Amino acid sequence: MKLVGIVGTNATSSTNRQLLQYMKRHFASQATIEIAEIKDLPAFNEPEDRTAPAVVQALSDQIAAADGVIFATPEYDHSIPAVLKSAIEWLSYTTRPLISKPVMIVGASNGSLGTSRAQAHLRQILEAPELKALVMPNVEYLLGHSLQAFDEDGNLKDATKAAELDDDFTAFTAFVDLTAKITPANKFVEKNQQFSWSQVANGRDL
Amino acid sequence: MKFIGIVGTNAKKSYNRDLLTFMQKHFADKADIEILELAAVPLFDESDDQSESPVIQEFVQKIEAADGVIIATPEHNHSIPSALKSIIEWLSFKLHPLDGKPVMIVGASYSVQGSSRAQLHLRQVLDAPGVNASVMPGSEFLLGRAQTAFDEQGNLKSAGTIDFLDSCFAKFMKFTTIVSAMAAPAEVKYQPGTYDVVATGHNGDLPMSVTLSDDRIEAINIDTSSETKGIADVAFKRIPQEIIDGQTLAVDAISGASMTSNGVINGVAQAVKQAGANPDELKKRRQNAAKPQASVTDITTDIVVVGAGGAGLTAAAKVLQAGRNVLVLEKFPAVGGNTVRAGGPMNAADPDWQHQFDAIPGEKHTLKEITEIDEATIDADYLPDFRALKTQIKAYLTENEDQRGYLFDSTLLHRIQTYLGGKRTDLNGHKIYGQYDLVKVLTDHALESVKWLEKIGVNFDKSQVTMPVGAIWRRGHKPMGDLGFAYIKALQPFVTKHGGRIMTETAVKSLTTTDGKVDGLIAEGPKHEKVVVHAKAVILASGGFAANTKMLQEYNTYWTAIDDDIQTTNSPAMTGDGIRLGTSVGADLVGMGFSQMMPVSDPDTGELFSGLQVPPQNYVMVNQAGKRFVNEYGSRDELTQAAIDNGSLFYLIADDAIKATAYNTSQAKIDQQVAAGTLFRADTLADLAKQLDMDPAVLTKTVNDYNSYVDAGEDPEFHKNAFDLKVAVAPFYATPRKPATHHTMGGLKIDTGAHVLNTDGTPIDGLYAAGEVAGGIHAGNRLGGNSLADIFTFGRIAAANALEDELTVAEF
Repeated sequence: MKLVGIVGTNATSSTNRQLLQYMKRHFASQATIEIAEIKDLPAFNEPEDRTAPAVVQALSDQIAAADGVIFATPEYDHSIPAVLKSAIEWLSYTTRPLISKPVMIVGASNGSLGTSRAQAHLRQILEAPELKALVMPNVEYLLGHSLQAFDEDGNLKDATKAAELDDDFTAFTAFVDLTAKITPANKFVEKNQQFSWSQVANGRDL
Repeated sequence: MKFIGIVGTNAKKSYNRDLLTFMQKHFADKADIEILELAAVPLFDESDDQSESPVIQEFVQKIEAADGVIIATPEHNHSIPSALKSIIEWLSFKLHPLDGKPVMIVGASYSVQGSSRAQLHLRQVLDAPGVNASVMPGSEFLLGRAQTAFDEQGNLKSAGTIDFLDSCFAKFMKFTTIVSAMAAPAEVKYQPGTYDVVATGHNGDLPMSVTLSDDRIEAINIDTSSETKGIADVAFKRIPQEIIDGQTLAVDAISGASMTSNGVINGVAQAVKQAGANPDELKKRRQNAAKPQASVTDITTDIVVVGAGGAGLTAAAKVLQAGRNVLVLEKFPAVGGNTVRAGGPMNAADPDWQHQFDAIPGEKHTLKEITEIDEATIDADYLPDFRALKTQIKAYLTENEDQRGYLFDSTLLHRIQTYLGGKRTDLNGHKIYGQYDLVKVLTDHALESVKWLEKIGVNFDKSQVTMPVGAIWRRGHKPMGDLGFAYIKALQPFVTKHGGRIMTETAVKSLTTTDGKVDGLIAEGPKHEKVVVHAKAVILASGGFAANTKMLQEYNTYWTAIDDDIQTTNSPAMTGDGIRLGTSVGADLVGMGFSQMMPVSDPDTGELFSGLQVPPQNYVMVNQAGKRFVNEYGSRDELTQAAIDNGSLFYLIADDAIKATAYNTSQAKIDQQVAAGTLFRADTLADLAKQLDMDPAVLTKTVNDYNSYVDAGEDPEFHKNAFDLKVAVAPFYATPRKPATHHTMGGLKIDTGAHVLNTDGTPIDGLYAAGEVAGGIHAGNRLGGNSLADIFTFGRIAAANALEDELTVAEF
């Protein structure tokens, strides 16, 4: 199974990046996880030609080629960081690779709540008609106090949190397999994958 | 009323912009609405703080000046656009202009939803603690099908919609009035009197007395005896002044003295509380926000010096002695750099003076060992000097074979010890030693620097010759009183009295060049104003990078690891600015992988001068088990590595007689530190051991063994080279210590004239460097006391060459 793990921040030092690196190593026997950065993407601004810049296209291709996507999001001001929202806007406005793509959401924060509000927002965002991702229900992996969560080798110190992630990840691989069976390749894929807010104006609510 | 309207998108066409424009026009008789756009706002990045940039500052200042804010948001993917989220992140990071600010949310969208989901998200975002806006509840204004909502004049077509917007806006104006009343600082009343409080400073307690009248803070007096002179002085003057001037506790800490600044603020807060008032009310009182000045200060001078530490002020003084103009730029509020943190003694071989002191046990042995070094291990460029030194030593040893003898020294011994002390191999097998011509200049001219400083006004204590930690030899010239501050106390007034200009809080951002010649620089002043300096030459004297852990880790090739949370003995200003400036115009770097740790630092602050700092012949170091673990007379590296191997934390054991040799403290400070638990004292060794969680028998045996070695003049366990006092007279002391980053040996490559060299080895026209910013001299390890010798020697050389090359002033 091939997955893409998206680091939901442009910060140089990020425990969400650490969490994905841990997952990549720890679940290597179950899946190949490629870690994707969004820090070099430009800020989203509706391009007139509706063409994705090369870096966005590269991320989009990476997602398209994967069986599923893992988002690791920090929480800024009770929501996801602007830089992650910007990356999602690029994808929704240009290439729309997340349509019917299985998605797992994880998040790490230094506070005790572990990005609970950001994850709820991200779920609502990914379910918007412009994106149409298949976010795995029932699973919410919140890593609080994340600055103290990893040991020197980058492993989760708390055995309970590590076991919880093992269970969640196994559930996600099953979810990926299941969705592959129930969603025929082209069922939700629109002919025109591009979306525009003005299409809605013409009575084409997606 | 004055409102700011924020268009919540960076799109070229936006119905939200149309909506705000309509509101601006429609409500013109009720309120002044100024519309701000997001197009120029950069994507938020916590690793690249742009809070001070003009675009963010415009938002901050306009929002702070406004009565309220109206945000018009579209809906993208069921949430607010990233552009809107980004400005809110900037406004909740370092600066918080939305805190308590009344906010009205409106939104327009193509779909019938009219931004309903985005508005709910926006409410939650604005409620986050970092933002803490006061969002008006209810009155949700959703403009669906916005593309059909406006007429050709940009007015809303539907009368019903306008009526609803009118009622929402009227409610927002009332809401703003109510919220403003809530946010207005309450009247503060004090129980008049003088309150004695104790706040925490960098080095421990700060006793203060605060005098309050019925409704004012009248006076703040602080006992500053425990703080290092020079560093915190600015905080002691400015913070109380700002508190009294503004009758507020919302004053900014001074960079470089933030602990002291906050200590003062917290102390006043305690007094306010004791007087029956709520300090939080005083924290709400904002100072008049410093407005960035658009004006550019343009200065032309002969020579500009970057950094007002010992090297920079020396260079400046030298320029002034030649009758030329000089400008010194310092990014911190206080001058003195790291020099004020130095222990004081500077190395310079001065045999005529040193000969009046008796040799101490162990020194002859050290000399003999030098004569026994295999010449094959001496690098060719040092070999002639090494042989000449051997001849000197042999003559001395023969002369004093049957007597204790005097303290030997020579410039050759200083040179060879600097060379041997700096010789290192890093983890990659790369060997390094001090560049011969630079080390020769240093050792030949150090004594001249002592004499020059005496003329400037530094008084040296000629009655004793000292050996700073890691110096290997007693050749330290110690200024009278005030440790390293003694130099700055003489240099700073010399510079200002002779017409030199020192600008503090002015950080150099870049060098300017014309046809490859460095001819000035661009800096930023305390109010963010641009300072442009034109000069014939630039002297970089900005210090090393020991306070820049990331940079240390990036270049490090010597230590197996440098912890992220390592403390430093340095001023926080030492972040490698000069190295960055130099390389930006093509300078070469040398020896960057080598850094030095100070093994005997305060475990909590990195501070050097807490506890009892005594001459190393009186060091007795024990690990956490109470056992000695190293030759205390060893190099700093040996001490550091041994400490790391023993769990980093260790103790310096002293008795009452050794205490008397401490050069850093007073009885009052000692008592204060014992009370604070940062220094341990007991009447017996067994009690001391108990305080340190050690086995009393182990510590007692360790000390008894040590005392017997002092009697015998030889240490069979760790081969300590020199002894002085035994540990025998109660009370006994233990000073906790840990290694901290101390000096960065690498830096800009220079020649003997302090010209900065480019990667071809040719001098960069107009650019000079002196002190820790330059590399090549100390190589892998700097001897204690050599940094001061370095800065005063190369500071003078840099100025002399800049004068000669660029202003045709011959050596005078």
